This record gives sequence, structure tokens and C-alpha cells, in this order.
Amino acid sequence: MSSELRIETTEATRLHVSCQTEVEVKHVVGLHARPAVTFTRLAKSFPCSIEVAVNGSDVWLNGKSIIKIMSARIRKGSVLRIRADGILAEEAIKALKELVERNFDEDKNHGRTG
Amino acid sequence: MAERDSLKATSASSGVAYGPVHLGELPDAALSSRPQSASGYQALMDAIETSVDELEALAGRSDAESRDIIDFQIEVLRDPTIAETAEARMNAGENIVFAWAGTLDDYIGELETADEEQVRARAVDILDIKNRVLCALTGTPIADFPAGSIFVGRDMEPSRFLAHDWSGGGGIALFNGSAIGHVALLARAKSIPMVVNAGRFAVSEGDYIRVDADSGAVAVHADGARVESASPQSISTFTHASPCDNGEVRTADGTRILLSINVNDPAELDSVEPVTTAGIGLMRSEFAVSSVADAASEEKQIVIYRRLLKWAAGKPVIVRMLDIGGDKPLAGLGVPPAGPTTDLRGIRLLLAHPEIARVQARALLRAAVHGDLRVMLPMVTFPSEINEMRSIFHEEAVRLATRGIPHPIPAIGMMVEVPAAAVMLDTFETADFFSFGTNDLTQHLAASSRDGANSTVVHRATIPALFRFLEGAMRLAAKGGKPVSICGDIAGDPQWLAGLLAIGLRHFSVAPVQLPAIRSAIVGLRADGTKAAGE
Repeated sequence: MSSELRIETTEATRLHVSCQTEVEVKHVVGLHARPAVTFTRLAKSFPCSIEVAVNGSDVWLNGKSIIKIMSARIRKGSVLRIRADGILAEEAIKALKELVERNFDEDKNHGRTG
Repeated sequence: MAERDSLKATSASSGVAYGPVHLGELPDAALSSRPQSASGYQALMDAIETSVDELEALAGRSDAESRDIIDFQIEVLRDPTIAETAEARMNAGENIVFAWAGTLDDYIGELETADEEQVRARAVDILDIKNRVLCALTGTPIADFPAGSIFVGRDMEPSRFLAHDWSGGGGIALFNGSAIGHVALLARAKSIPMVVNAGRFAVSEGDYIRVDADSGAVAVHADGARVESASPQSISTFTHASPCDNGEVRTADGTRILLSINVNDPAELDSVEPVTTAGIGLMRSEFAVSSVADAASEEKQIVIYRRLLKWAAGKPVIVRMLDIGGDKPLAGLGVPPAGPTTDLRGIRLLLAHPEIARVQARALLRAAVHGDLRVMLPMVTFPSEINEMRSIFHEEAVRLATRGIPHPIPAIGMMVEVPAAAVMLDTFETADFFSFGTNDLTQHLAASSRDGANSTVVHRATIPALFRFLEGAMRLAAKGGKPVSICGDIAGDPQWLAGLLAIGLRHFSVAPVQLPAIRSAIVGLRADGTKAAGE
């Protein structure tokens, strides 16, 4: 599975863009409550829309909704497609992808996995 | 004003009370504004903000692990899709409180079925915020008045009566009001002296006043000389007079009669020994589940029903589903038009707003594991209404099953209080039992509302017609061989007992205060209602 960051600029303005990326979840118990909080809070800090699809699904979920993220049952090994549309989309995609790769900062914040 | 004005009034609940006046003016403004505030989308947003503020304050004094949970709860409260879903449900006609509770209940149900224990464990955190927001939505409770006061006003709302602490005595004197209205019924159940139709009289807050509900009089500028006659009476004495016969009483010729009790508020059970009754024949859930937020809260209702079942210790507990609409508004539910003449009431309202019925059905199904719970449907007119409600119970039972929650399906019976149903009782094959609600039946037979100025007189004059009517309904009920009881006020009044026995009634459900009087009346009569020899 590719983990390249693909950026498709569809708008003339540099600020309003559509971006998409793929990233594999390595966190041992998947996206349960605490990682989901970290993810949606970061997503909400960007003004663009952010959507997530899991394991090749064509259902795009609101990435700012913890309920949607939690009920997507994102487990270890799941591949997340994240797309953003709007102002700062590029930065949003980069930050969210890095967060997933950093295991949602779980180790740094808590030193535990539960 | 004269020194000691004595005013003539109608007794609505016997006894004598003496105390300082509390002036209870304001019903109109308060009643019309509350449903508005609870039904607006902005009210939900405000309640969510209030809840977030509370949680943030809580997080400030919590350890890291608790903060994780609180952070999760705050994130759920700020979830944009929740607000969207709730708004969509509201646009589809749901009351906003139910839209909120229903949205969260759906997510809770999803999480509960997750494979991962960590995800399942979050369901309770969402349940917690669901109820936190419901609490915030109830807003400011109606201001209570000092214990021991005499409530004086044009009329009194049931919710205000129920919210008040009557343990310090007190009484009620209404300028208008009705002796057969809902507050009168509640006052009799709690032995609170009450008079109605006193006419408007001038008193000030804190003036001492004497309510003599035995003779139907109000002494406005009463002096303290009569204090001793009006000391708060014990409301628990009647239980000591009742033998531990489990509510099984024999007539003079040995026929077994069952005596159950009517309950409006679980607190009433504190003064009743379960061994003196055959169980709860009627729990009027609308008096215990008195706001729209309570009606939307499965958990709050389960607590109420469990308390009844625990008290009954295995005896039957019949819970009547919310009998709202018409002259019994549910605080905060702005949907049905208010007023005694509305068609949307009782089971019709529950079926028109299934979101209300579904929450109550789930709470009843879940509580039913704790005892012998039975469900009674209010204001049933047609057999199809019972079938529709039964479907709701079955659908909710399936939903509970997928969540692994135990849920015995209770017997479902009906109140017989609409004349159209009473004359067709043999067609109600799907009802598991019948109970005659004579208060509404009388009202509808006489085409007279229960809060009108002449309602007491009209209703009394209607009683011979009521008896003739009940006699016919009893014959139809007997065809199906289903259990029949009577839970209207008339069942607790010894003067009508002979007539009720004569038409074949054998199970009476009465206010706890009426138990001793009815019990002693039964033993003096034969099963056909005639007086026993030597009486």
C-alpha cells in the first residue's frame, strides 16, 4: 500500500486545494477513544473539510466527527484514506498523516497503549 | 377585610391545614414559555455548551485517566454530525429533546455491539453525556415554596404539586380548580387538605390561613388559636391499620377480593407495607416522568420502574404508559396542542410520537427483569392501537437483544376509559387485561371536562349512567375471560362498593389512603353487594 503523499491542486489559488493521502494504522488497538480524540481535534483545527475512508471503502466519513471515526472500527493494519478540501487542505493532510504515523502521540503522551 | 373571613369552598381532599400563605400566581406565563425554550434548537446548543463547561471544570480537578474520558466526552458533545443528525430528526417532526436522546441512543447501540472491549466500554461515557445534556435541557425547575405553606392560587399544576416537599404538612386553597382534577387526585393520595372553588380572595404572602377541607371552608385571617387542630398529620398511620393479608380480602360470604394500590410517585410507597396489598394496580407514569427530558431518558425511567418492582417484591406492578396530551401536558413537549378537547392524547399521542413510546418501551422491557411488571395502555379506543404498541415493544425487544440486554416481554393490557372501547370490549382480543378508568369514562359519558366549574356536580349525577355502562362492559369482558380490575377514584370510595361488587368486580386498585375504608367495607358485604346479616 502506498504511503506517498499525493497532492492534487485543483484550484488556482494556492490556499484552496484538494488533497488526498493514504496511511496505514499501526497503533496496537486501532483508533479507539483517545487516538480518535487526538485525530478529530487536529482535524477540527483546520478550516477545510476533512473526510476519511477505510480499507478501500468508497464511503467518506466526516473526519471531524469522533462518532464517525469511532464507529468506522479502524483497527491495526487498516489503511486510511484521508482527503481534505478547502483552505489549508495541504497542511491538514500532512499533519493528519504524520499524526497517524506517530501512533497518535500515544507513546509520547501516555506511555501506554490501552 | 374582616378580621376572620370564612369562605365557603368545595372539599377536594379531606383534612385541616393551617399555615402561611404561598401565593402561586404565574401559571400562564410559565406554562407557555417553558415548552418553547425546550423545543428550540438553540436550547439544545445551549445545553450542550453548559455540559461542556461542566465537563471542563471537572477535568480541571481530575487525574490523567479521568481527563481522557472527559476529553472524549467533550469531543463527542462537539461532534458536528451529532448536531446535524439531531437537527435532521427535529426537522422530521421530533421534539428536540427526543431528537437528541434518539441520536445518542443510536450511537450507544452501535458502540455496544463493537467487537473491541475498549470501544464497548465507551458506550457508558456517551450515555453519561446524553443524560448530562438532558439534565441541562430541563432548565430551571419550578421554584418550590416553603414546606408547611398553604398554596393559594387560581389553579395548580401537577408538576408543581409533585415537585413540592409535603412532608412538613401544608394544604391547598384554589380560587377555581376542580375536585376531580389531577392535583386533587394527587392531594388525596398524599392526604394533603385541599379545597377548590373558593372564589378569588385577598391574602398576602405569609398571612396565616386555615383550610378546613372536611367542612369545605377557608378562614382567611385565621389566628393561631386553631393551630393545634391543624398540626401536620401523619400520612403513614393507615398502613398500621391494614392487616398483612397481601391485599386478599374475603366478603362476608367468602368471595376473594383483591386490593391493589394506585401510585403516582414512587415516594408514596415509603408509607405502605407491601404485605397489605396485592401489588400496584396502577402506576400513573406521567406523574413520575413529568418532563420531556425524563421521558427521553431510558435510564431515569428504569430507576423509577425498578423502585416499584423492588417494593412489590414479586407482586404484580402495572405501569400505565405516559398518559399525556389533553389536560395533561408534558412539561417541555411543545408538539401536541394543549387543552382538554384535543384528540391527540394517551395512546394516540404515543403512536403519533413513537420516539416517546420507544424510550418508555425500552425502559419497561429492561426493568421487567426485576419483577412482575405489566404494561397498561392509556385512552385506548381501537384494538389496532394495542397491536401497534405491541409491535413497538417487539421491535425494541429485538434491538435490545442485539445489544445482549435481557428483556422479558410484559403482559400488555388497557385502560377502559373511552366509551367507544368499553362497548366493544369483546373485540379487544390482543389486550391481556382490562382496567376500568372511571374518572375519564365518567367525563366522556357526560361530555363534561374534569376542570369545569360544575364538573363535580355533573360527574356525581352521571354515576347511575356509569354503573349501567360498566355493567355492560363487564359482560363483554367476561366473554374473553381476561382479568378485569377497576382503578378509577370510584373504586376507593366505600359508598359505591356494593354496586361495583354487584356487577362482578373482584379486583380494586385504590389510593393507599383508601385501603382501610375499602377493606372494612368489603367484609361487611356479600359478593352480590348486599349487606351481610347482622350489619
